[in-house]
Amino acid sequence: MNLVSESLSLDDYEQAVELFFERGWTDGLPVVLPTRKRVEALIAYAGRDPQASLGPVPPKGGEATVEKLAINAVMGGCRPEHFPVVLAAMEAMMDPAHNLNGVSQTTHMCVSLIIVNGPIARELGFNSRDGVFGNGYRANAAVGRAVRLALWNLGGAVPWDTDKSTLSHPGEYAFCIAEEEEDNPWQPLHVERGCEPGSDAVTVFACEGPHSVFCYGTPEEMLHVLADSMCSLGNNNMHVMGQTLVTLNPLNAEEFAKRGWSKQDVRLYLWEHARRPLSDVRACGVVHEQFRKMERDAGRYPLRYDLDNPTTRLPVTQAPEDIHIVVAGGRSYFAAVLPGWGGFGGFAVTRPVRRPGR
Amino acid sequence: MDILVPVWPAPETARPTKTRPQSLKGATIALVDDNLDIPFTTRLETLLGERHGVKVERLVKPSGTAPSPPGVIDTAAAAHAAIVGIGL
Repeated sequence: MNLVSESLSLDDYEQAVELFFERGWTDGLPVVLPTRKRVEALIAYAGRDPQASLGPVPPKGGEATVEKLAINAVMGGCRPEHFPVVLAAMEAMMDPAHNLNGVSQTTHMCVSLIIVNGPIARELGFNSRDGVFGNGYRANAAVGRAVRLALWNLGGAVPWDTDKSTLSHPGEYAFCIAEEEEDNPWQPLHVERGCEPGSDAVTVFACEGPHSVFCYGTPEEMLHVLADSMCSLGNNNMHVMGQTLVTLNPLNAEEFAKRGWSKQDVRLYLWEHARRPLSDVRACGVVHEQFRKMERDAGRYPLRYDLDNPTTRLPVTQAPEDIHIVVAGGRSYFAAVLPGWGGFGGFAVTRPVRRPGR
Repeated sequence: MDILVPVWPAPETARPTKTRPQSLKGATIALVDDNLDIPFTTRLETLLGERHGVKVERLVKPSGTAPSPPGVIDTAAAAHAAIVGIGL
């Protein structure tokens, strides 16, 4: 296989692992050493030209060739069958709608979450149930970390240089979940977003970490607490809209469905009720006001809301469709809201996973 | 073990830098307005022109959170100096 990356001949395992720290090629954790054999196995499995490129990775613009992505995927712990998911996630993140350049450098604490849908999730052992945002599952961890390492090594998004995140986010190491599709009464996320039922896809969305929502009871009771949790004044959405993500656990979704609520019914209710009066938002001060004005001037903030009337109730997103709903987690009492970056970008992008031979 | 390097090599030659203007008076300075604080940027433009005799070329980025379009970068690069990264 014709690979162009510089290679190092190292016989000492410990020395090789330490070299990755010394050269700044890892994120603070040790890596799986990207031997030529392992890298070639990933590229061969994907059946892609190693020099094909997805484009320059912002902010610093290293080319995301299949070869370089495979090296970083091996470092993150990927097996060959994980690699098509990594490629799809990178394709999605590099869509201009996601504004990866901004997501990687903003002072805000968003990180691009990878959501895996389709049969591949179950086949490769992605977790979609208890502890879905946590540890314990190789597929979630390896794919999530592979993407982060690619952004580190090809994009140069490192915290002492271009990554200006004020407090950052544990998902900087890995941030990847699967949607629960079997214990789920509704259409999965990727099908809602235009993919064929039964197909494999990833969706990326830049968001904060999961905020716990104690969510139990009747649909109206669950929606009451969800709506309140979504419109906290501390999140960007409340000031500059954009998109937000709600993760309901399978029991929540079942309770809604049993009482006749579709996912769209839930979305519309949340959009109508996750609102704050303008006076609340104004009380946050002039900086927040300036951001809102900036978004309005740029045409991203709807003019239909009367910003001279303090009783105007501002929604958390511009349109109901900007509230993404995913079913994942254990059958319990908790849901999560994950606010986005606001109107600046990080918007959801979905890409199919291209598996060899399918 | 044959280990592959995960990064691209650094460019061998750094991009040439411009000579710093000796004086602001008469210099053309590109002022890249990133849409984050328009009144501040306008005040800066006024001060540069009235107080220091600068010929200001104001360029506008569509968003403060996305890269400048190539046309903005090319125009800014043609000036004697450029001011970028104005924020809150």
